[in-house]
Amino acid sequence: MNSLDPPLLDELRAILGIEAIVSRATELKVYECDGWTVEKSSPDILLMPRSTAELSAVMAALDRRAIAYVPRGAGTGLSGGCLPLNAPAMICTSKMNRIVEIDYDNRRVEVESGVVNLHVTNAVKARGYFYAPDPSSQVACTIGGNIAENSGGPHTLKYGVTTNHVLGLEVVLPDGEIVELGGPTEERCGYDLVGAVVGAEGTTGIVTRATLRLMREPENHRTLLASFPDVDSATRAVSLIIASGILPGALEMMDQLITRAVEDAFHVGLPADAGAVLIIELDGLEAGLTASADAVATMAQSCGASAVKLARDEAERALLWKARKRAFGAVGRLAPNYATQDGVVPRTCLPQILRVISEVSRRYDLRIGNVFHAGDGNLHPIILYDERVPGQVRRAIDAGRDILKACIEMGGSLTGEHGIGVEKIGEMPLLFSPDDLRVMTELRHVFDPKGRSNPGKVIPEPGACVEVAAPRRQVPI
Amino acid sequence: MDEAPITQSMPVQDVCDYDLLFDCVHCGLCVEACPTYIATRREMDSPRGRIYLMKSLAEGKLQLDDDSVRHLDLCLGCRGCETACPSGVHYGQLIEGARAFVERNYRRRFFDRFRRSAVSAVFPYPLRMRALLAPLVIVDRLGLRPALRTILPRALRDWIDLLPRLAGARPLAPEAHAAPAADAPRVVVHHGCVAQVLANSENLNSERLLAAAGYRVVHLENTACCGALDLHSGNAARALDFARANVSALKRSGADAILSAASGCSVAIAEYGQLLKNEPAIADDARAVASKVKDLSSLLLAAGWTAPREFRCTVTYHDACHLAHGLGVREAPRRLLASIPGVKIIEMVESDLCCGSAGSYNLTEPEMARELGRRKTDNIVATGADYVVLANPGCEFQIAAELRRRKSKTTAIHLADFLALASNGDVR
Repeated sequence: MNSLDPPLLDELRAILGIEAIVSRATELKVYECDGWTVEKSSPDILLMPRSTAELSAVMAALDRRAIAYVPRGAGTGLSGGCLPLNAPAMICTSKMNRIVEIDYDNRRVEVESGVVNLHVTNAVKARGYFYAPDPSSQVACTIGGNIAENSGGPHTLKYGVTTNHVLGLEVVLPDGEIVELGGPTEERCGYDLVGAVVGAEGTTGIVTRATLRLMREPENHRTLLASFPDVDSATRAVSLIIASGILPGALEMMDQLITRAVEDAFHVGLPADAGAVLIIELDGLEAGLTASADAVATMAQSCGASAVKLARDEAERALLWKARKRAFGAVGRLAPNYATQDGVVPRTCLPQILRVISEVSRRYDLRIGNVFHAGDGNLHPIILYDERVPGQVRRAIDAGRDILKACIEMGGSLTGEHGIGVEKIGEMPLLFSPDDLRVMTELRHVFDPKGRSNPGKVIPEPGACVEVAAPRRQVPI
Repeated sequence: MDEAPITQSMPVQDVCDYDLLFDCVHCGLCVEACPTYIATRREMDSPRGRIYLMKSLAEGKLQLDDDSVRHLDLCLGCRGCETACPSGVHYGQLIEGARAFVERNYRRRFFDRFRRSAVSAVFPYPLRMRALLAPLVIVDRLGLRPALRTILPRALRDWIDLLPRLAGARPLAPEAHAAPAADAPRVVVHHGCVAQVLANSENLNSERLLAAAGYRVVHLENTACCGALDLHSGNAARALDFARANVSALKRSGADAILSAASGCSVAIAEYGQLLKNEPAIADDARAVASKVKDLSSLLLAAGWTAPREFRCTVTYHDACHLAHGLGVREAPRRLLASIPGVKIIEMVESDLCCGSAGSYNLTEPEMARELGRRKTDNIVATGADYVVLANPGCEFQIAAELRRRKSKTTAIHLADFLALASNGDVR
């Protein structure tokens, strides 16, 4: 705790009280990584403000001593977004978890940033509303984290990602200043500053409150499970469905490795012998749903689907979604460790990228499963490894990198919803020119002129070697 | 880039089953299912955080110190995280291992040591428990408990507040039931240790209900504590002794189904197979006994139990942790309650969040237990129900104490007692 002098500690204690400060090494140990466990680094101090005022006072105190910080919500991120890098202080929003106001008439809700994603929907579902972005970690991840990563989820194909659902933000800038961006109204003029903060991964300050859009629950659903002999035929069906003009609420694919893991874990009746399955959910007005579902089933069959099953009731539908949303964890039953990639390709390139992935799997001798948002071309190859086997961590990282490179070559992107974090920062120059990165840095400096807010994330430092992860980090590989 | 040397994680300390730690992929989906995380919002008080502490201890990256013990102690062992976990982490086994490790390697402060030895020396032995409570029975008979409270130190007062009124609560002998059909399945109700002293009506009502539903109720000759208290407090050796004694007794009973009015005991028995797997002499019997564990509501539903009369009231159902997260029983008790004419069920929020009782947890961790007890009763009171029905005596004491404190009109009652009340108008 060399960077934190006693006067600063006294000041922080005066702001937060002793209960909201964690400074002993044993306790800080559990904060050394999030869902990206490849790299680890403990903060020197963890601060847990309960209100915007406390958070702002903490940020001002750190600013006066030029101490950098890293924000953290529930720590479910998958790209190391809250890994402390040259940031002694960690500011956690988990105690800021109040739902401030629900405004059904205007279909919006104001929440503190530490509110858990699913708790928003739970609070409004009795009245027939929901909050649309639904990442697989929604039982635990916070709205603040969702905003930082611009999170998605299965239903973003139809409903859009987090940025499409944030109307206004209260942000504390790195010097402690509290600013309001956007607002409760649907249409705004001027620059889209909310858009600049959403997806900035905490490099523009810390979001303390958000006004979110509420959606009306669709009148009904049809949820189909289609089994295919191989991933090729399944991806053809995806393209056919989208091209037909039918827009499903969600269109998800799982390959055989994942299907088997999920079936072993949850016994939902997935076909273990299928090469791939699609979960296709149609939602909207009851009128026309059956016709759409029939059309989708016919298209799936024309692409070679061996079976198309319709979830008979809400319980069956819930079970399918439970299986899909917990697929990542179920993979934990197959191997001690995994790394999840998050590349995006144009939908039509899905068959090609899946061939690349299986080739990468052979080349690095690592099993790779695929569970992903097929409808929007957002891949989640899950690379299985065992950190106890020498060299496997390195191979897993290299394999992930090869997949991302292929995504970019096909005209895709590095991340659909997990963020760049530290995981993919080395690949940013593959996607962006030095000019692009310079402009991004300038934008970031408008919010954070001294570069103290989540340093070392998103934008690679000029001059850093881009082929490997940032060299100053202690990478346990 | 300077390649750091390849780090190979090897266990250097025998904290728990090291390989089981690798089931956890650090996704964090468990944290909001953990009552202590919900209360403190700090990750060292979450399942993922505790697993990380165990792993760091096992790998020698952390030393066992006051902080690590503190956060391991604060776990309720409710297993809410096992329900939430997509990776199938055996958290219960991990925390039991870690607790035994703590007891082997850490010297507690005097008061804590005293508190824990008192629980350990008295609770598993009904005779000792009765002897210790004898003076309080007299106090209660004279109606002097309020006076007694005022002169006791706070720690003792908190313990006594958890006890139901003891006057008139004399040990009830097992009773004979009408002869069942010759081929009726044999059922044993394991009477437990604390339960047979403080809540024997739950055992006897369970037996009456099962007998009336056509089961052949078999009594155990001697009932040892199931060992759960010891497993949860790191005393593995005695837990194994208790488990062996129970396995032989339960095997001799020839039971087709085994249950306990305490869901924690049911789960402990259901895990005997795992617990005794390394003892060849008894491993097969332990597995066989474990596989026979059932719960009251499922047995009654299977036998087609119906309420003999109408009983008009509102009820909210609290999921005892080990019943819901351990045995996975959630629907059966609700279906049973809903089948009683006149009973209206009002669901509370967070019905499967631990009430803070957690075995002897409310005696060793009173602050957290009180906080969770208050949260639970907030949710109960919000339903406005006449009864909160639950299937575990520990939850009943904890919730009843909290309801008494806030002078609520809601009554906490065990499922077996409630069914007796609904059927006969009387718990006894």
